[in-house]
Amino acid sequence: MDKRPMSFYFLGAFFIVFLLFLYGPNITIAILSFQGENGGLTFPMRGSSLHWYAQLFERQAVGDFTSALLRSLALGVMVMICTVVFSLLAGLAFRKRFVGSSTVFYLTLASLILPSILVSLGIGLMFDRFGLTPNWFSSGFGSHLTWTLPFGLLIMFAVFNRFNPSYEMASADLGATTLQTFRLILLPLLAPSLMGIGLFGFTLSYDEFARTLMTSGALNTLPLELFAMTTNVTSPVLYALGTVTTLVSLCVILLTLVLLKQLNRKPKHQGN
Amino acid sequence: MKDKMVIDQVNQDNSSSVETDLKSPSVSRRGLLKGAAKAGVAAGAISGFPMIWAQNIKNITLRQFGTGVSNLNAIADKCKEDLGFNLQLTSLDSDSVTQRAVTQPNSYDIADIEYWICKKVFPSGVMQPLDTSKLKNFSKISPLFINGKLAPDSTIAQGTAPHTVGFVESKDSKRFATEQTNWMTLIPTIYNADTLGIRPDLVGRPITTWADIMDPAFKGKTSILNIPSIGIMDAAMICEAMGEIKYADKGNMTREEIDKTIEILIAAKQQGQFRAFWKSFDESVNLMASGEVVIQSMWSPAVAAVRGRGIQCAYQPLKEGYRAWGGGLGLASHLSGLELEAAYEYIDWYLSGWVGAYLNRQGYYSAAPSTSKDYMTPDEWGFWIEGKPAQGAILGPDGNLMEKAGAVRDGGSYWDRMGAVSCWNSVMDENKYMVRKWNEFIVS
Amino acid sequence: MMLSRQIHSYWQALPLTLILLGFLVFPICVILVVSFWDYNEYSLIPDFILENYEFLLTSKVTLKAYLQTFKYAFLSWLFTFLIGFTLAYFLAFHVRSQKTQTVLFLLCTVPFFTSNIIRMISWIPLLGRNGLVNSSLQSSGLIDQPLDWLLYSDFAIVLAYIHLYTMFMVVPIFNSMMRIDRNLVEAALDAGAAPWQILKDIIVPLSKSGIMVGSIFVFTLVMGDFITVKIMGGGIKANVATLIYNEISLLQYPAAAAGAIVLLITVLMMLMILFRLVDVRKEL
Repeated sequence: MDKRPMSFYFLGAFFIVFLLFLYGPNITIAILSFQGENGGLTFPMRGSSLHWYAQLFERQAVGDFTSALLRSLALGVMVMICTVVFSLLAGLAFRKRFVGSSTVFYLTLASLILPSILVSLGIGLMFDRFGLTPNWFSSGFGSHLTWTLPFGLLIMFAVFNRFNPSYEMASADLGATTLQTFRLILLPLLAPSLMGIGLFGFTLSYDEFARTLMTSGALNTLPLELFAMTTNVTSPVLYALGTVTTLVSLCVILLTLVLLKQLNRKPKHQGN
Repeated sequence: MKDKMVIDQVNQDNSSSVETDLKSPSVSRRGLLKGAAKAGVAAGAISGFPMIWAQNIKNITLRQFGTGVSNLNAIADKCKEDLGFNLQLTSLDSDSVTQRAVTQPNSYDIADIEYWICKKVFPSGVMQPLDTSKLKNFSKISPLFINGKLAPDSTIAQGTAPHTVGFVESKDSKRFATEQTNWMTLIPTIYNADTLGIRPDLVGRPITTWADIMDPAFKGKTSILNIPSIGIMDAAMICEAMGEIKYADKGNMTREEIDKTIEILIAAKQQGQFRAFWKSFDESVNLMASGEVVIQSMWSPAVAAVRGRGIQCAYQPLKEGYRAWGGGLGLASHLSGLELEAAYEYIDWYLSGWVGAYLNRQGYYSAAPSTSKDYMTPDEWGFWIEGKPAQGAILGPDGNLMEKAGAVRDGGSYWDRMGAVSCWNSVMDENKYMVRKWNEFIVS
Repeated sequence: MMLSRQIHSYWQALPLTLILLGFLVFPICVILVVSFWDYNEYSLIPDFILENYEFLLTSKVTLKAYLQTFKYAFLSWLFTFLIGFTLAYFLAFHVRSQKTQTVLFLLCTVPFFTSNIIRMISWIPLLGRNGLVNSSLQSSGLIDQPLDWLLYSDFAIVLAYIHLYTMFMVVPIFNSMMRIDRNLVEAALDAGAAPWQILKDIIVPLSKSGIMVGSIFVFTLVMGDFITVKIMGGGIKANVATLIYNEISLLQYPAAAAGAIVLLITVLMMLMILFRLVDVRKEL
């Protein structure tokens, strides 16, 4: 390794400061989650305890975040699967120019760009006017897809723009059917990106508030439930929940990393 | 077969009440009452609706929604225990409550809403009125909700007083009746008199009037709530106390009155008088507990929550009186058959005392005060309702210490507080205009 | 094979298209229709009135809210760009192994796994009068009085935007920086160019597309946000989406719809200008 220039250390320090800034709220959450039994959501700390972690498994005075959490996880998984499949298909479609391709493309961009509250209002009004009952798994599901699919498609574009088609051609030359080429060549090569899309889709859906606001129907997703819980006294149990979800997602990411490494070990592909 | 079911259930209940009997004297009375209630049910089974006590009652789930204020899981648990069917609660913030009530009438069976929301929602036809003759506890409801008068000689407060939107003319009518009828829009459950909350340790002087919130000494340390229908009433109390405006009827302002009120608010905002506007209960607790504000509009249990953290906080009675609000339970229009009967049973049970006592212990008031008395200790009743000094420790519904012996409730007794109501939360004729002006205030 | 591929394209693009038609295009048509309706306390009255637009376009509230929104959008864009560019530069040119880059990126994403509602609430104990920042500043003797403007202010709102959206800037800029041919930089160095010249003449122009994409993200996200303004502004501050949200929550759907249509047109106009400058599809 050659010597690092001065700028490296400046920029490195800048990066660390930025990380601290990013983690600021999380650190606050983590500290306050150990708040004493009589403590509240703000400083000062009144003693310290694991009380709120124990409370996590108890029933709250208001609201029920366990079932909301399960609902959000289920919705997240549904959205994740559809995002991966639909983006992959659309990504494949866009490798060729077809009639209407740019319309679809700009629609996708519009979907990403339109303020969430607008989409939420539109879907809510639409269900209302047509006498349909909104539900988290119907209208909510659709509204989440309008948010995750554009990201999925953009990632697919980024991938295919750098994709070397010679593997597929070679495969076709060797007499493989389209399906075989897809299954044996394309899919393994795309696997890491698809996992990325999945992860993206899941987190975007899991944390989506505005688009769910008018589309979730009778039952709340987790962000809505948390918001509703603030109509009564909320306790640091929210912080305990936050800390636990952060830790769990850290584990999921680490797991994904290990998996990716396993996958990468197989065929080498071009790209950065 | 059916009879056996009833007996089994009674046995079960008896055994559970025997267990709890040992814990406190107040519960033994509850046990007795429950026995009495069961006897009443047995009688009802013969005369009225026998279906309800069959096995399938257990399969019924009633879906109720409302704000976190009264949508408490403890009530659902107790309902399951006493009545045998499930109550599924959805909590929402107060804005979403109105929305849900109107736009998704099929998503709920029972609406837990405030009277001013009822004024907006009921005429849209998503709810059905309740037949008061089916409610055994109807006669126990406070006259405040029947004719607007706490005592026969009380004057009726301004605003959307509950009795003005409490009745409709007939089963199918959507028009509010001017006097008591057999058809009630909401069965009242919960209400309170609101005033300003203060941090006695930080304000540094006695607070006596709504106008104190505009004192330049508290610049940047005050807050009011940002729910237009409620906030405008607080604002009206403030402006009137300042002597700036004399309203003909605070609950139904003219455009000029609205303009002037908002003008005063905007001026104060631009001078930096307000630290924040809160919308949810929790925000008000955090603002107060963290010391961001020292005087603000507040709700009673929020004051209790701040005090529960060992921070001084008072629910200051003011000379102009209180701003009151009330909520109740209403039925969705799609309810029918067994579920409708179950809903009646549930609402009647709500009035029968246990829930009332639970709400009283949080600092709210029960709509049927006399029934809740049986479920409270004399000391609790004395502290919360009669305004007497606490003899022993006063515990909240969750068993946490709320007040030590010797404490007296801010504002005194039920009659002192509810008797000094100046206006109710309201929906005005000029509501659309008011909301637009309110928006202007928030943006400015 | 080529021909069959093109036919394949249609069914492959079908699910995406159907979702977009059903949950985007159609709902927006509904908004457009409803924006001409009348309303009362509790219901929508089908009609054709211009009153919603008339009020919206003549009210000084609208103008104020738009000015506020543009202010937030501009400030957030400026800071996320400056910070995002620096971070992307560091990650692309100073961090050498791809593995380290991945790890650093993941480190940046972890905070976003905690529900945003919880994170927002936690800004209060961090920035409030008795919060972590103020108390550490006070105990270090830097200030006597707690700083009020840390919370419930424009500062707080922009800070939260920077917190939320900087990564949306970093990723696309990083992406285009990684495509800059390193030999170009080497050659410039050999030719005796100063580091800032390389930055100005090579790196910035060549990462222009990434900057554009990032700017579009940040700009549109800020334009449509209301929850950040609501929580970080303490209800004192408002932008366009807050107005729409208020109207929705007060059941004034037609007014909200009219507001939404005007916002939609504004955003689209801004984007048309941006799209003139960059072909997003090519640059990914």
